Amino acid sequence: MKYLAAIGIAALAGLLVVLVMGGDPGSALGTFLWSSLGSLNGLSQTLNKTCPLLLGGLAVGLALRAGFFNIGVDGQIYAGAIVATGLALGAGGLPAVLLLPAVLVLGGLGGAALAVVPGVLRARWSVNEIFVTVMLNFVAAFLAEYLTTGPWNDPMAGEAISRLVPEGARLPMISERSGAHGGIVLALAFVLVVWLLLERTTWGFEVRALGSNPRASRVAGVRQARLTVTVFAMSGALAGLAGAVEVSALHQRLILGLTPGYGIMALLIAVLGKSRPPGVLVAALGMATLLVGSDSLQRSVNLPASAALVFQALIVLSVLFAEARRPAARGTA
Amino acid sequence: MGASVRLRMEDVTKRFGDFLALDGVTFEVGVGELHALLGENGAGKTTLMNVLSGLYRADSGRIWLDGQHVEIASPRDAVRRRIGMVHQHFELIPALTGLENVVVGRETSRWWFRRDREAGAVEALARRFGFTVALDVPVGALSVADQQKVEILKAIVRGVDVLILDEPTTVLTPQESDHLLATVRAMADEGLAVVFISHRIREVLEHCDRVTVMRGGRVAGSLAIAEATEAGLVELMIGERLARLESAGPRPAGEAIALRVEGLTVAGRGAVPAVRNAGFSVGRGEIVGIAGVAGNGQQELCEAIVGLRPAAGRVELDGRNVTGARVGARLDRGLLYIPEDRMADGILPTLSVAENLVLGLHRHVFTGRLGYDPGRAVAMAAAPIAEYRIAPPSPTAIAGLLSGGNIQKILIARALARGARTGTALLLAHNPSRGLDIRTTTFVRRCLVEASRAGAGVLLVSSDLDELLQIADRILVMFHGALVADLSAEAFDPYRIGRLMAGGEGG
Repeated sequence: MKYLAAIGIAALAGLLVVLVMGGDPGSALGTFLWSSLGSLNGLSQTLNKTCPLLLGGLAVGLALRAGFFNIGVDGQIYAGAIVATGLALGAGGLPAVLLLPAVLVLGGLGGAALAVVPGVLRARWSVNEIFVTVMLNFVAAFLAEYLTTGPWNDPMAGEAISRLVPEGARLPMISERSGAHGGIVLALAFVLVVWLLLERTTWGFEVRALGSNPRASRVAGVRQARLTVTVFAMSGALAGLAGAVEVSALHQRLILGLTPGYGIMALLIAVLGKSRPPGVLVAALGMATLLVGSDSLQRSVNLPASAALVFQALIVLSVLFAEARRPAARGTA
Repeated sequence: MGASVRLRMEDVTKRFGDFLALDGVTFEVGVGELHALLGENGAGKTTLMNVLSGLYRADSGRIWLDGQHVEIASPRDAVRRRIGMVHQHFELIPALTGLENVVVGRETSRWWFRRDREAGAVEALARRFGFTVALDVPVGALSVADQQKVEILKAIVRGVDVLILDEPTTVLTPQESDHLLATVRAMADEGLAVVFISHRIREVLEHCDRVTVMRGGRVAGSLAIAEATEAGLVELMIGERLARLESAGPRPAGEAIALRVEGLTVAGRGAVPAVRNAGFSVGRGEIVGIAGVAGNGQQELCEAIVGLRPAAGRVELDGRNVTGARVGARLDRGLLYIPEDRMADGILPTLSVAENLVLGLHRHVFTGRLGYDPGRAVAMAAAPIAEYRIAPPSPTAIAGLLSGGNIQKILIARALARGARTGTALLLAHNPSRGLDIRTTTFVRRCLVEASRAGAGVLLVSSDLDELLQIADRILVMFHGALVADLSAEAFDPYRIGRLMAGGEGG
């Protein structure tokens, strides 16, 4: 209810922006909805966009449930994409039955490997994970730049992109005609997986206990260092998988600019979805609709490219404002 | 001394919920007087001074300064009335220098930080009272004693007529304490009215002009130092005792040792260790109490036994060496721990009552395919909720919203349920009834007695002497990190224990 009000406020403000820019609000709204949800092509684009946002949102949300800030989703997406591309380019001869699962799994492991670094630093030496994850974003992005312009560069393209990965490493499409790829199925499956992990496993219970009160969970005998590292690994794996899917299904190669700031959007998605998988799903769908819809506004109603960002910011601010107005639950000692 | 009255608090009463913290307290300090406020934990000393410094508002009562009736509604009012307070816990910013800490928020010029001008004023002040403290290094690098001096400078820099020091010597060595008190003496001689909150009788007798003793929110007595004796003050502090819990009493102590601690030393803040070479044992079926004024190393001792804090020495549980073992491994050996700070160390505030009850037990209970089973957790919560009368009686209620007493019940239920599964070697409880109403307090004490009857060793660390006298079979007294006495029930003498707790002789 509260969120509906927030979205309403943001939509009103958005229409105001359209008016100021000299557009026709009615047709803008129509274009927005048609291009993101109404048409088959638009819907496909929205679902494709949802995939990395959803996996990234789950990654951030999982870490948040344990009380950690994973700001390194962008880096972990690159790490997953790099490992996936490397495998696909290097072992292209394998049959698809083997190659595709290997690409996805190793992509996840690549993201996990990058995320374990801040995890270990945090668990062993209490190093703030925010700094480490942010710094590793640069490391991964520069590595991707090196690879796409150097060893893996596609000489025909003249851009910072790698050669195409072989057929066997490509994720099947849901609909060849509209361009919807199978990543959304994977991402939806992981909504369930992460929910089960958090709510139905002993590990997840300890994660939630850690996030609720680290001191108390330590006093109760929870092995915090080990738990911390596994949380980071799992969070990184989700982001890494997102990277592998982007390579395998969307671009079919590693490209520089693989993630246009999905990590930051994932942060917003996790916060809006309260770090709970169903909430993250809704927030990711909403964010993807917004991105795709306002992208088309840019073309048809002549809005500037940054309009989508303005809408995003408006929605997030409205929701956070609605959130902040509710008094936080506090103990009455 | 005390020719003219600077401060008079009259008939001050303050309630916290049902708890009567101050009950018609009248208190006077003269010009140039160093006045000690003495009492056990929870006697109301700090509450009374917080009323004076504007942190709390009294329910009734009046305050006079130099014969003039004043209202003190906020700390700002107190500063305006030239009242300064140094709190028990330092409020310094470690990264700033001493000078910056002293002047922050009260700089003399509005826009620019005029270091030379500020430094000149503060240094003059320090010289006047014989403070020798480096003001140009970050406070975090100073010793605790020097930090204390910075705190005092901060309190007096704007000029005060009344200075309140809340247990300033607790974390100091005896030499540092003497030096500090000499400085405070000099300030009183300049005409300040100084209130010195303490629980150390000897310091009071050696340095102060007058002493007011509080007990249970009332003034138990007020006398000039010349008339005061150590024994007399202890008697005023302690008053009458509660009767022993009828279900307690000596039990046949078994052969088995639940806990043995040898040469345990835990590092503290600064150079003084928090726990010094502690050695004792707790037999199965025995309740051993550790008495002491809060802050004498009890928390560190508990955490070292549980494995939360590194320590030198040896800890044995049930005859097995657990020195250096993980917390979980110790718990699996039958160690149950009820921490003192239930909000910080006990409760998971955002999770449900059921989830809180199952924490620690979860690895023993959920052994199914995936593990955690919320339905089972809720079902398991029904019994303890009924047995301990946890309110609201809902397993899905968010634990952080419960009252302190109900949270404490959850922690006890959680610990004992774990004991039922792993077997209980030792139940370690630190101030388990602090802040609880009388009914819950009695309930908690009964739980401890029953655990001991069932064959567990119980180590009860408490700053409530009544609690220990009521149920302990033996009392160890902790002072300045060391165990200074080991008394058995026949030898319980509250006056003697009180003297030991205050650092006096046990004779």
